[in-house]
Amino acid sequence: MHIPDGFLSPLVALSLYVISLIVVAYSGRKYFKEGGDIYYLSVMAAGIFAAQMLNWPIPGGTSAHLVGGALAGILLGPFGGCLAMFMNLLVQCILMGDGGITALGANTFNMAIVDVFLGYLIYRLVMRMSGGKKFLAGFFAGWLAIAAAAVVCGVEIGLSPQFGYPLSVTVPVMGTWHLLLGLVEGVATGFIVSRVEVIGK
Amino acid sequence: MRRSYLLILILVLVSPIFGVIGAEMVGYHEPLDVAAELIGLGESEPIWTGIFPDYTVPGVPDVIGYVISGFVGVGVLLLPALLRGRRD
Repeated sequence: MHIPDGFLSPLVALSLYVISLIVVAYSGRKYFKEGGDIYYLSVMAAGIFAAQMLNWPIPGGTSAHLVGGALAGILLGPFGGCLAMFMNLLVQCILMGDGGITALGANTFNMAIVDVFLGYLIYRLVMRMSGGKKFLAGFFAGWLAIAAAAVVCGVEIGLSPQFGYPLSVTVPVMGTWHLLLGLVEGVATGFIVSRVEVIGK
Repeated sequence: MRRSYLLILILVLVSPIFGVIGAEMVGYHEPLDVAAELIGLGESEPIWTGIFPDYTVPGVPDVIGYVISGFVGVGVLLLPALLRGRRD
């Protein structure tokens, strides 16, 4: 889901840089004001970075890896999760060229904001509705939030004439593909949150 | 939290099995890169390729380069935790 350079129109890329910068800065303020410890951000970001290196090859020339935004949001709370995901994306972009430097704003928006905040909300909602079933809540959070992030990603590249395909193609392709792949993300998220102590609230 | 470090270590060590060996078996590329090639965007060079382009170290076999770049990435991200430790 990491968008490379050259996919986004300057307007889309720049707008998402601005929005993401504001949300990340606000998350930083909130997280540390509420007594958040940088230790957890550091360990979570490193863990997500390592987990994302496990690409599962899918015959046909593509692959999928966990994204982990919902997981980070559930374990550290949405603000800490956003910061940890952003740290990960920053290192991936600058050190590995994974995700274009012009697309860092968009990638942050999709994976550090949509995936994290929506995943957190879905988790809380399902927890309340199911009477505290952690695996179930983590499953739906991981699954649906990644599908939503993929739809948003489809909107971004569909709105950019550079990519050459309209929204009517990019959104269904990204959405349905990740609704399927997201099941793995859901199971992994559910499995981990049902076994790890939640730090954030 | 020791267990987190151990888990991260194991993840990086096994990652080439998926990220390099498995990837070569199925001719893997990042999905969005495949899309770019299909529509001819592939020729436009990325603006910034990174210090370890696509998790490789120039002149080093891919499997080892993948692990090295993985440790560097993890190391940078873990710096605050290693330097400051856990409060409380």
